[in-house]
Amino acid sequence: MRPFDLRLLRLVPATRGPVGALGVVGILQGIATIALAFALTGVVVAVVDGTELRGPLILLVALFAVRATLAYAAEAIQAWVGVRVASALRERLVAHLLLTPIDRRPDPERTGTLAAQGCSAVEPYAARYLPSLVHAAVVPALAIVAMLVVDWSSALIVILTVPLLPVFAALIGHTTADDTGRRWQALSALAGHFADVMRGLPTLVAYGRGERQVETIEQVSDRHRRATMRTLRLAFMSSAALELLASISVAIVAVWCGIRLAKGNMELTPALLAILLAPEAYWPIRRVGAEFHTAADGAEAIEAVADLLAADASPLPALSTGDRGADERRDALVHIAADGLGYTYPGAEEPVLENVSLQAEPGLTVVTGPSGVGKSTLLELLGGLRTPTTGTLTAGRAHLVSQRPFVAAASVRDNLRLGNGAADEALWEALRRVGLDGTVAAMPQSLDTLLGDDGFGLSAGQRARLVLARALLSSAPVLLLDEPTAHLDAASSATIHDLIADLAERRTVVAVTHRTELLVAADRHHHLEPREVRS
Amino acid sequence: MSTRRPASVVSLRPTPRILLAGLVGGAATASGIALTATSGWLIVRASEMPVILTLLVAVVAVRAFGIARPVLRYAERLLSHDEALADLARRRSQMYAALVPLTPARLGRRSRSSLLGGVVDEITDVVDAHVRVTVPVVSGVVAGVLAAVLAALIEPAAGGVIALLLLAVAAASVVAYLLERSAQSELLSARARVQQVSDLVARSGLELQAIGAEADAHAWLADAHGTWRAAVRRQARGRSLAAAMILLATGVATAGTAWIAWREVSSGPVAALLVVLPVALGDGLAPLAEAMRALARTEGAQARVSALLDQVPAVAEAGDRIPEAVPEPTTDRLTASWRGDHPDMPDVTLTIEPGAALALTGPNGAGKSTLLAVLARHLDPMRGTYALSGTSVRDLDLAATRARFAVVDDEPHVFASTLRENLRFAGPDADDEDLTTALVRAGLGDLLDSLPDGLDTRLGSGARGLSGGERARLAIARAVVSQRPILLLDEPVAHLDHATAVAVLHDLRSAARERTLVMVSHRPDGLADFDAVIEVMDNGDISTTVCRRAACTDESDEIRQAEEAP
Repeated sequence: MRPFDLRLLRLVPATRGPVGALGVVGILQGIATIALAFALTGVVVAVVDGTELRGPLILLVALFAVRATLAYAAEAIQAWVGVRVASALRERLVAHLLLTPIDRRPDPERTGTLAAQGCSAVEPYAARYLPSLVHAAVVPALAIVAMLVVDWSSALIVILTVPLLPVFAALIGHTTADDTGRRWQALSALAGHFADVMRGLPTLVAYGRGERQVETIEQVSDRHRRATMRTLRLAFMSSAALELLASISVAIVAVWCGIRLAKGNMELTPALLAILLAPEAYWPIRRVGAEFHTAADGAEAIEAVADLLAADASPLPALSTGDRGADERRDALVHIAADGLGYTYPGAEEPVLENVSLQAEPGLTVVTGPSGVGKSTLLELLGGLRTPTTGTLTAGRAHLVSQRPFVAAASVRDNLRLGNGAADEALWEALRRVGLDGTVAAMPQSLDTLLGDDGFGLSAGQRARLVLARALLSSAPVLLLDEPTAHLDAASSATIHDLIADLAERRTVVAVTHRTELLVAADRHHHLEPREVRS
Repeated sequence: MSTRRPASVVSLRPTPRILLAGLVGGAATASGIALTATSGWLIVRASEMPVILTLLVAVVAVRAFGIARPVLRYAERLLSHDEALADLARRRSQMYAALVPLTPARLGRRSRSSLLGGVVDEITDVVDAHVRVTVPVVSGVVAGVLAAVLAALIEPAAGGVIALLLLAVAAASVVAYLLERSAQSELLSARARVQQVSDLVARSGLELQAIGAEADAHAWLADAHGTWRAAVRRQARGRSLAAAMILLATGVATAGTAWIAWREVSSGPVAALLVVLPVALGDGLAPLAEAMRALARTEGAQARVSALLDQVPAVAEAGDRIPEAVPEPTTDRLTASWRGDHPDMPDVTLTIEPGAALALTGPNGAGKSTLLAVLARHLDPMRGTYALSGTSVRDLDLAATRARFAVVDDEPHVFASTLRENLRFAGPDADDEDLTTALVRAGLGDLLDSLPDGLDTRLGSGARGLSGGERARLAIARAVVSQRPILLLDEPVAHLDHATAVAVLHDLRSAARERTLVMVSHRPDGLADFDAVIEVMDNGDISTTVCRRAACTDESDEIRQAEEAP
């Protein structure tokens, strides 16, 4: 693990300012610390010699006040920097993920963990580890310079022993790097295990297997504990070893000063200064070692995100954000022309779709075919969510209502406004057209009513109508509907079928369905045969 | 099945090993203070040019303290972290166990990703209190008292100054704690929101792209981050203030002991020791500012976990009688409610003979799924009675009753494991042949044949995905594997085309030949095989008996929708 991955500053420019602020505060704190050693020496000498104490005391208290002020500022700035760096990194990662088609995107489980837990681990990295790194760079240097001025021979001892610390730390760090990597994987697996078990809790409970998982969780957590303790033992050991090394070095300085003092070859002031300043050359470096274990996860996460951002530097496809010109060009395109389309899932050997040609213009195109023939995949290709393996495709900007459409744990309003940002009147009009206006009006907080992760409180049918209302609100010239009425009863289905026919007057609508009612209204019909039959 | 919540899930009481770690930590902190103090003494004593031998004791002491501090600190950290992680493992499983009886009805609107990002993090925070609060506080008290006693032995007034310093540090800690706590709930919800949004956005990329909501997702994340940032900034004030106050108090105390040493202490080395003592103590107590933040965080987390776990399960503990192997469910004017305020289903009077197949149809939201949840014993009746073969379910053992029902809901979970493990948890005694048979009967024979690793193929997130239809069929296969006598299915074939749906239901009927079947469906497809089809209406109460293969009279088989009040 590198002490600081410079790619962070290059790939995520928003982190430059905060990291710079840490540097400034660190330098000021270093200067105050060194000055305080001088003031304390002045007080001790005045007390021992019985000379005038008022001046040294005032200086000491004043410098403590300065340090207190700086400490206040430093704590506040560190907290701010932690959040700022973690959120900047996460926003950059998420922007990257959202602009990458699914087939080029890494495993969602891994990126989910990276975006949620990984980036959160960056907070202590930036708020605690980075300041310690700044201290380690600033304070020892200042202390050594001050010692060179007051007692060069003590300074020489420090100069000769201080480099041992980073060398030592690097050696230990090198041996722990592999283990830290393993721990990150263990953590990832544990989080994945937990997420999986939690999501499956209703299923497990349904089969009386909920209780059984308790033991597994304890076992997995215990594996995690052992893996973590292995890493921690090394980290603590290295920290203890560095402290011991520092103690011995300071002791050498103290003995060297003591001998000269006892022989009358040295004044009390430089001797006191030497022993007060010497630890300042070591402890900031030791603290880096101590913060190592809180930072390791964050550093790993930064490297992982940087690798991800750097690996896929190809121009991002303009999906809908930002580039207004590109959006307008795609909006002007209202038809779909697919020729010889084929698709093979990443890692799969057999293509799921082969040689599919399909033309669609404003009007209703219905796609049918047996279960598992690749109808949903075809829609994802037409919607630009996947890149065809073979064949050519031109298609206007599309809004795809999938079989498991996205319903966020947010208000009805926020869910409806996704991707369109429409005003309330438009929302109500859309709800009216899908026949959901009465239901929403009767909800406790109307449009402000919160929906659960998968739309708790809404039946499957209501959910289906809600996402259709959202499709209505979309400005996309192409609408792709995957089994839009699968969850609806006959009466609701009829309403929705009329609505789809209505929509097809102005837009290009491609609907995958097994229902014959929709076929009647279709302008075009495309039947997907199983691949064996086609070939 | 246990419904009690072990109090230890959120308890902050330190364990003996943690207290021991605190004492060891106190010895480490005291060693550090003693190291600085004896060094000061040594240098000043040396400047008086004594016989070298008189310095030797101090030299040995300096060395001993210099070695003791890192060694003791190492021991303290190993002890405290190992205990904390062991405790975390225990509490995670305890928390999970406490969630089991609340599942599924009480998980309510708390979304799953927030359950993970929130509750799991919160239990970690509670356990963190060992390492971050108990150990530094115990260490600080031990070291502070030792320093005060040492100073008082030399010069009582100096002891008083040290005691005042300790009081000032305690006051600073309390202020820091109060400030941190006041911002805590805000910070926790902001943090949970960030986790939830980032998890959601990172995992739902495809769904968000599908509806062109990338910009909205990014705005959510930026918004969550903004709230988080504001909360952190507000909360950092407590820690900042404590750090500043501890330094200021240290400065004043140092001036105090220096003044006393200057006036009262004639020995130069001892005077020097008194001057540096508060400085060293201030350094040793500085971690308390951070400890107060951790304490505030822990208490907030504790409250939130408690609020979730303290809910009353949707199903009360019942009796201990064991239901018949193949029971006959009967209900009398039964209704139920998810939230306890108003009925979510019409009054249902129903008898389902063993082996009969009943389909429930009707508009969305009429209460079909609610009835299914009551039958499955996931939800207690609100009014009316529910009995199995004449015994009220309230007299029957809950786990044993649930074990009579195999539930297939409309969004079955696919575990990140092998296909085999995805089936076997429903029927641990099943062998590969049983599993294969179940898959074939559920219409997944072709899928199984196409899998290179067969039953060993890994499914779930990050591995092979299943289509909606395949997922539904997997759930049906699980129900078959479970061999439970009554199958409850909630829209199992919603995603399948007509031919497959009919085939699956047919297979299901033949696979479940001896089993009772209750299926919610809004589609008439494949229901011809069913013994009865009941239409559930919003206000239409139901009263019927369902017999196997229409064995009972036509009249009782008829569906009556009593419009008049019973």
